[in-house]
Amino acid sequence: MLSIKNLHASVEGEEILKGINLEIKAGEVHAIMGPNGSGKSTLSQVLAGNETFEVTEGEITLNGENLLDLETEERAREGIFLAFQYPVEIPGVSNLQFLRTAVNAMRTHRGEPEMNAAEFMKLAREVSKQVDLDPAFLKRGVNEGFSGGEKKRNEIMQALLLQPKLAILDETDSGLDIDALQVVSKGVNALRADDRAILMVTHYQRLLNHIVPDYVHVLAGGRIVKSGGRELALELEERGYGWLGVKDEETTPSAAS
Amino acid sequence: MKPAPTLSSAFLEPAGHSLPGPLLELRKQRGTALVDMPLPTRKTENWKYSSRHLKLTDGLAASLPATGKNGLSLSLPGYRVVFRNGVMIPEASDFPDIEGILIQRFGDLDDSDAAALAERLDNTLDTRAVQMARLNSARFEDGLYIRLDKEAVLDQPLFFVHEVTGTDSGSAYPRIYVDAARHSQITLVEEYLSSGDQPVMVDSVTEFTLGDGANVTSVRLVMEGENVQHIGATGVRQAANSRFESHCVGFGGPLRRHDLMVRLEGEGGECKLNGVVVTQGKQHYDNHTSIEHVAAHCNSEETYRNIAADQSHAVFNGRIHIHEDAQKSNANMNNKNLLLSTGAEIDTKPELEIYADDVKCAHGATIGQLDKISLFYLVSRGIGRREANTLLTMAFINELVEQIPVQAVKDAAQIRLNEFFDQTFEEA
Ligand SMILES: Nc1ncnc2c1ncn2[C@@H]1O[C@H](COP(=O)(O)OP(=O)(O)OP(=O)(O)O)[C@@H](O)[C@H]1O
Ligand SMILES: [Mg+2]
Repeated sequence: MLSIKNLHASVEGEEILKGINLEIKAGEVHAIMGPNGSGKSTLSQVLAGNETFEVTEGEITLNGENLLDLETEERAREGIFLAFQYPVEIPGVSNLQFLRTAVNAMRTHRGEPEMNAAEFMKLAREVSKQVDLDPAFLKRGVNEGFSGGEKKRNEIMQALLLQPKLAILDETDSGLDIDALQVVSKGVNALRADDRAILMVTHYQRLLNHIVPDYVHVLAGGRIVKSGGRELALELEERGYGWLGVKDEETTPSAAS
Repeated sequence: MKPAPTLSSAFLEPAGHSLPGPLLELRKQRGTALVDMPLPTRKTENWKYSSRHLKLTDGLAASLPATGKNGLSLSLPGYRVVFRNGVMIPEASDFPDIEGILIQRFGDLDDSDAAALAERLDNTLDTRAVQMARLNSARFEDGLYIRLDKEAVLDQPLFFVHEVTGTDSGSAYPRIYVDAARHSQITLVEEYLSSGDQPVMVDSVTEFTLGDGANVTSVRLVMEGENVQHIGATGVRQAANSRFESHCVGFGGPLRRHDLMVRLEGEGGECKLNGVVVTQGKQHYDNHTSIEHVAAHCNSEETYRNIAADQSHAVFNGRIHIHEDAQKSNANMNNKNLLLSTGAEIDTKPELEIYADDVKCAHGATIGQLDKISLFYLVSRGIGRREANTLLTMAFINELVEQIPVQAVKDAAQIRLNEFFDQTFEEA
């Protein structure tokens, strides 16, 4: 489904990704771990098409189609979804309006009729229950004043509404309390499907108890330095990143939960 | 030193139209005083950014035809008074005869009402600060007098629609005076529209006096075309415990100028001034507001938002003057500006003059662009560029649009806003 070959990307002239290779097949769940600042979010943002980052070399294809030729919104319509590490607050745009506009943009792209306000409200209420978010949040500004955990649940809610082909979850587990972690994991597991792939960035093995990945990769210094099965995550938890030749002072996870 | 330019004699010719004697007399007096009035230039502080857009050519001095053809088809709900080219069109107007409320064109006033009005006209304005209002006082051909007796309540908004036909070049001087006695209530909507393409100047003046506890809402929608320069002044005087609310929504033109002056003269008075301005192309819009806290224990709250696209230019000048005796004044002024293009320009200036010591006065101004990260977030959900930009721009003014208390105005503004978005944001 997703194929990344020798991907280099830089920001303000500084190279952050230094030759990433990654193949993800439909139905698979891949986890990416790695020290702070190693480029995990950069990779996620580059996949979604954030123009802050310049791709200087390499290629990305989604089901054979060159992703780098597509604008962000076109990528989204082709099925790329990024749950942001730091979801953006947009006061003045209601969450409901935002979600409906997004869902209708996708429907229009697929040649389906738009959903009217009432139809959408019904759907949105159902999905908000699925992530245990009070429907009252639909009326608030996008992520405006949401707690960290509420923002993450709002991201998963969007994934559930938009039904992407590839869901990239950038630290969707950080900042969640134990109950919220359960809820989010349930949401992510609900996304698992034979025709969908999931790429999750995480610092914590505990998420991987709930969402069992097929592969775990270690991203360090802009490269994937090690790949393995889920047992790699356990090993990392125990031993840190030092044994992989990665600088040790960077190995403490950033966000405590 | 070169003397400041004055009005060309074409503007000093006696204006036509039949008015009751006291008003004719007043107009004549004001005309005489105009002769050596200096016109705004670049050196005139309150016209610094706008004087070069003010074009008082002799062609604009002409009166406009009393009833132009090609009237806009208006389908307004509720009460309305329609003026075309500065004079009232009774056939297009429709308002009730309500006990305790006088709604009448200047031309139809009886002598005693006309005399009472002539005594009041200009009494809400500092005519030194609003030069162009003086031209209106010398040249108005008709006007609307609204007088509410004590406790009278107009049960629906009254629309005052002023339309320029644009079939001929010239100028119009619409004039409104609202006299709201104590505890009376009214919502007045002023809509300024135009058709045609001949250059026209609209020089409008609206005055409000509020008695004790009166409650007046003023909604002002300026949507004239590219052939119209609009210079407007609104003067407000508030007695104790009265409340005045103003909602101005303006779209740009070759020159748009609005001076809004509020005097809080009685304790417990309250005013709320909201403004939304949208400019594009080479348009120019200049809002000057002034709030005078004359009496103690008054509240004022002002929120203006400018959105400037292309090479357009918006100006906001917000003055708050707290007089020596106005203790416990509470004044809050906020102006936020959004530049949608690198060629656009916005100038914002707060002017605070505070002579009392026990007051709360807060002000803030920002100038920014649409947030790139917010835009990325929206498009990453499949939302198109134009729609995403539109959502973010609406987010900037939503709060003010929502507060407009008249649905028909909200709708009209939204239609015009959507045109603006279509013209400003490309679909990627
Ligand atoms: N917009 C930017 N401008 C400048 N530097 C940036 C920008 N975005 C990322 N970087 C830099 O790129 C490097 C990689 O950052 P990235 O956010 O991808 O790390 P990460 O692996 O996601 O870290 P974390 O675990 O802390 O989330 C960091 O050194 C960061 O400072
Ligand atoms: Mg990160």
